[in-house]
Amino acid sequence: MKESQPPVIETRGLTKTYKGVQALKSLDLQVQQNSIFGFLGPNGAGKTTTIKLLLGLIRSTAGSATVFGMDSVNQSVDIRARIGYLPQEPHFYEYMTARQTLRFTARFFFKGPEKAIEARVEEMLHLVDLAEKADRPLKTFSGGERQRLGIAQAQVNYPDLLILDEPAASLDPIGRRDVLEVMSRLRKYTTVFYSTHILDDVQRVSDTVVILNKGAVVAQGPIEELLAGSEGIIYLIHMNGDADSALKLVQSQPWVSGIKTGNHGGETTWQVSVTDPLAAEAHLLKLLVNGPVMVTEFRRKQYNLEDIFMQVIEGGQNVRE
Amino acid sequence: MSGNSDFVMVNERGWRRGFNNLLDNEFARWWRTRMWWVQTLIWVGMIGFMLGALLFSTPDFKIEDGVMIYAVFAGMFPAVAVVIIMQGVLVGEKKDGTAAWVLSKPAARPAFILSKMVANSLGVLVTMVVLPGIVAYVLFFIRIKAGMDPLLFMAGLGVFFLNHLFYLTLTLMLGSFFNGRGPVIGISLAFLFMQQYLIGLLPVLRYVLPWTLVVPLNNQSEVVVPALLSGQPIYSYIPIMAVLVECVLFVLISLWRFKREEL
Repeated sequence: MKESQPPVIETRGLTKTYKGVQALKSLDLQVQQNSIFGFLGPNGAGKTTTIKLLLGLIRSTAGSATVFGMDSVNQSVDIRARIGYLPQEPHFYEYMTARQTLRFTARFFFKGPEKAIEARVEEMLHLVDLAEKADRPLKTFSGGERQRLGIAQAQVNYPDLLILDEPAASLDPIGRRDVLEVMSRLRKYTTVFYSTHILDDVQRVSDTVVILNKGAVVAQGPIEELLAGSEGIIYLIHMNGDADSALKLVQSQPWVSGIKTGNHGGETTWQVSVTDPLAAEAHLLKLLVNGPVMVTEFRRKQYNLEDIFMQVIEGGQNVRE
Repeated sequence: MSGNSDFVMVNERGWRRGFNNLLDNEFARWWRTRMWWVQTLIWVGMIGFMLGALLFSTPDFKIEDGVMIYAVFAGMFPAVAVVIIMQGVLVGEKKDGTAAWVLSKPAARPAFILSKMVANSLGVLVTMVVLPGIVAYVLFFIRIKAGMDPLLFMAGLGVFFLNHLFYLTLTLMLGSFFNGRGPVIGISLAFLFMQQYLIGLLPVLRYVLPWTLVVPLNNQSEVVVPALLSGQPIYSYIPIMAVLVECVLFVLISLWRFKREEL
């Protein structure tokens, strides 16, 4: 990521209230160029509200948002000229075919020439594997086909910023994989800002993540930093033997910040929190195997996004990098 | 990805951004679907049949009666159809999410409203006014063996269109305020049918409501279209001017309201 470049999206204190209920609470966000920015949160967290505010479809109650440095209220049309957007539930004109829908979308951006527009439409139909169904009316399309058409129409202008609201929600596993591949491929050319509740997808393709809950940011940062966990670096150890004397030995090390002990299947278990991972890697296991215990398992605790998500959503914890 | 260098980019600014594309789309709804011929069939068939039956089956027929009945039929019934067609134009798109989708593209909100107004006005003009009007003209011509003044007849068709435009813009404006079809169609139709009562309560309203453009009050001379078609002097030009101003006002209010719409 090129942090020195101005952010593609920047919000300051962005707030939206619907009839006295705060849907979004003072959101501060920065999305860097060419990043794949995952916007996570349970239903009703404020993800779609944020996207609609960025697109100028609704108005903020307080705060501001800029996209490409332009104000999301006063320069909304100019912003949208550089954006591709996939709504959460794509709704198109039912009397149109997929080809007509893409042609209609393309004409918001391009006057001509006809040949180039038709070539772009054809390219998009192939991209989402809808070429064979291009001339069928949309009322005959399945949910997955509509979603794929939605992805195609969002890219028809080769946008500088692609905003996808739950892009993989109604897709089968193959469709989901294809969408993630397209997103990864586009990273070179564009910035992708997408909301989802499919944590596995975020972990696979995102480089930055924001977790939103009840309209407020509860975690934010590069994915690797979030995955490192907010509890710090922890080693999980299972052992048999005289754990008490080994405990005193390990506790005396300057790089050990705490030990949680327990019992699992007759074995003693430890969760050793350390401040210096290099020292721990070099000495922790040696201290134990040279002592009065037999180590049966030794590993550094790995977090996945689901752990982090559940921790911040259920625990009400804030993790800001 | 090769970029967009092969394209001529859209460069419209302000309210016109996206207008041409949206207008093409709205025209397509009328002219590339069965909408246009269904509407044409209904109105040519209905007005032609009704007028034909009256003109050719009544031996002691008076031209003034024919003109009056034509004015009422061609003025009232299509107005109801206009309300029915227009009630879903904005509300439908707001409810099913297509308005939000379209306006996530570089399209200005005024362009969205105006494209609907222009395309539907043209559809109404052709299918509900001009084509049935030509049939009516031919029927009158055959029955009275001499043509009515074509210019006055065209002026009469113009007033029919103004009458329909009033309900079209009224329904469009109501669609910008409400998110359900019920209030839009209910208020529009209630207004349409309550005018006679309102004018009865406050007679001066006949100068500002579209009722006397096509439907006579107790005094049969106080109605615009039949007078025009028969070559008689019009009792007042004020209703024409007032309705025209009201149409413009309804469009302006629609633009103002839709700009604030949360989609």
